[in-house]
Amino acid sequence: MMTEISLYDAHDPWVTINAMHRQQGDELLALTGFRDQKIKAHWLLADGSIAREQVRCSSDRFMTLTTILPEVAWDEREIYDLFGYTPIAHPDLRPLLRTQRWPDDFYPLRAAMPDRPLWRDGEPDQAMKVVQGEGIVIMKVGPTHAGIIESGHFVFSVMGENILCLDAHLFQKHRGIEALLQGKSFPAIQPMIARLCGSDSVSHQYNLLQSIEQVTDRHVSEVVQYRRILVAESERILSHLNDLAQIPAGVGFAVAHQKGLALKELWQRGMAVIFGHRFLFDAMYGEVFTQEDKLHFLSLITSFEALWAKWVKLTEKNVAFHDRMRGVGKVTRQDAKQLGAVGVARRATGEKSDMRKYMPLYQVVDFTVATALGGDVEARFQVRLLEVESSLSILRQTLARMGDPSKEEPFVVPSDLTGETVTFSESPHGLNVHVIQWLDGKIDRYHIRSGSYRNWPVLAKAVEGNVVADFPLINKSFELCYSCTDR
Amino acid sequence: MDKKMKSLQLRHVDAGSCNACEQELTALLGKDYDVSRYGIEFVASPRHADALIVTGSVSDTMKPALVRVFEAVSTPKGLIVIGDCALGCGVDRRAYASHGGVQHVVQPDLSVAGCPPTPQEIVKRLQEYMDKHTTV
Ligand code: SF4
Repeated sequence: MMTEISLYDAHDPWVTINAMHRQQGDELLALTGFRDQKIKAHWLLADGSIAREQVRCSSDRFMTLTTILPEVAWDEREIYDLFGYTPIAHPDLRPLLRTQRWPDDFYPLRAAMPDRPLWRDGEPDQAMKVVQGEGIVIMKVGPTHAGIIESGHFVFSVMGENILCLDAHLFQKHRGIEALLQGKSFPAIQPMIARLCGSDSVSHQYNLLQSIEQVTDRHVSEVVQYRRILVAESERILSHLNDLAQIPAGVGFAVAHQKGLALKELWQRGMAVIFGHRFLFDAMYGEVFTQEDKLHFLSLITSFEALWAKWVKLTEKNVAFHDRMRGVGKVTRQDAKQLGAVGVARRATGEKSDMRKYMPLYQVVDFTVATALGGDVEARFQVRLLEVESSLSILRQTLARMGDPSKEEPFVVPSDLTGETVTFSESPHGLNVHVIQWLDGKIDRYHIRSGSYRNWPVLAKAVEGNVVADFPLINKSFELCYSCTDR
Repeated sequence: MDKKMKSLQLRHVDAGSCNACEQELTALLGKDYDVSRYGIEFVASPRHADALIVTGSVSDTMKPALVRVFEAVSTPKGLIVIGDCALGCGVDRRAYASHGGVQHVVQPDLSVAGCPPTPQEIVKRLQEYMDKHTTV
């Protein structure tokens, strides 16, 4: 596909209005395509309110925003792949999710309920972006890997030992979940949303709950709100423990890796007892929290903290470990901003960006946003360490304030439920946004822009100039999820 | 004479999971479960493997890779599927780009249900598998 750079119009109102938001320092929540030819951009403003900008495609075309907002490069390619709406003058319109196996006329999100197409035979190969020149070697890895890892295909352009460019071909696991949700009711999609991703499940569940509560104006009791904080911070700890245990594995620090996994196991067993699931699937939907649960939780925290302190010491005093992390996989503050980095990756460049500060749920607890300087593997490791500790403190604060369980009125979703919401939360992997349209009690459109989705292009940037052998380490320091990216 | 399997070398393929099944497989290598003491190991190449261990409902893009990796395992070989998605009863089985379970692509020899199955359950079923199968 040739791009029509010459057709770019910087004065297109769609471009100027979104450029203004960026200049104001607003945070882009999502860029979403709809079946009625509309594209909407939702922006979070400094005061916590959400602005919605929209454009209607004319003959299936709209002006690209990638030129002024590099972070939407993938979103626009996705809209092109799934709806067939062309972003005019997009600098790189290679297929993102589509493969050569897709029938030409198959644009799944154009239909309310797309059928399974007749896939073509053959390999799903896609066009690669590589650097050419004398001495440059192209190294392809995946989609399947030599360990227990999610599937993704990576194309490295390498010179000597150095990575010049990484072209990440994700979406190997694209299943078509957004379309699957269409036409379904709230109870039917609850388990699906909880299983979008094993590491940020709670955050996805919470976004769905917020949507239903915004549209129906339902208010839940204080106890239930506190319980939600407990579930959300439990997930942050669980997910960070997983990622913290993986980083030492990336440099062969086996003791810290093994002991890290043991900490995670301890936490998961506690989660199974208190919330009924080792990964907190469906746990956010629950509303019951008994006195016994509270006691279990307090004793879990106490036994966890003793082992945690030892683990932190083990990693702190290992100079070689810190030496291996320092300066590796560096993301500058400017790149983080430009590419729309979120979560730990962004805070590790010194920016105090944490969506919990915008979430009413968290107004009742005290915590400071953890940051580190350096933007490297060490900084991302450090931010997670601090966040586990602040989450433990939030848990203790919440448990101390939690009153007796109240009896919630059984909630019935009205059958005429209609409306559009944009809900977000700070998942363990950063800002996670759901754009949801309800029509007569059913999902009309559901778009998921997860923290991992935003950070993949940041990871690709972070590995440039590093040695190939450090890719696993850098990759683990982001530990991004493929599942909720690919959907 | 045929003997019971004393070791089981597995190569993992994620064919579209939510990654919780992977995390439970990773837990098997931690000291709490430590499957290496039963001779169970995860190996880097399908050429080294006795069986493939698959998670996820099989996305269309992963289908050719899954088939190819299974072909690369030398015979006799096994196929083990982990989790409801891989078993064909997962939440995304009806999505347009999901093949709705591994059995539609290759026939499994062992299926471990659960969403995700617990590490205890996986260990138990793998041991049973080893007891039932023989080495040549
Ligand atoms: S079976 Fe459950 S845990 Fe396993 S991949 Fe599917 S949704 Fe995830």
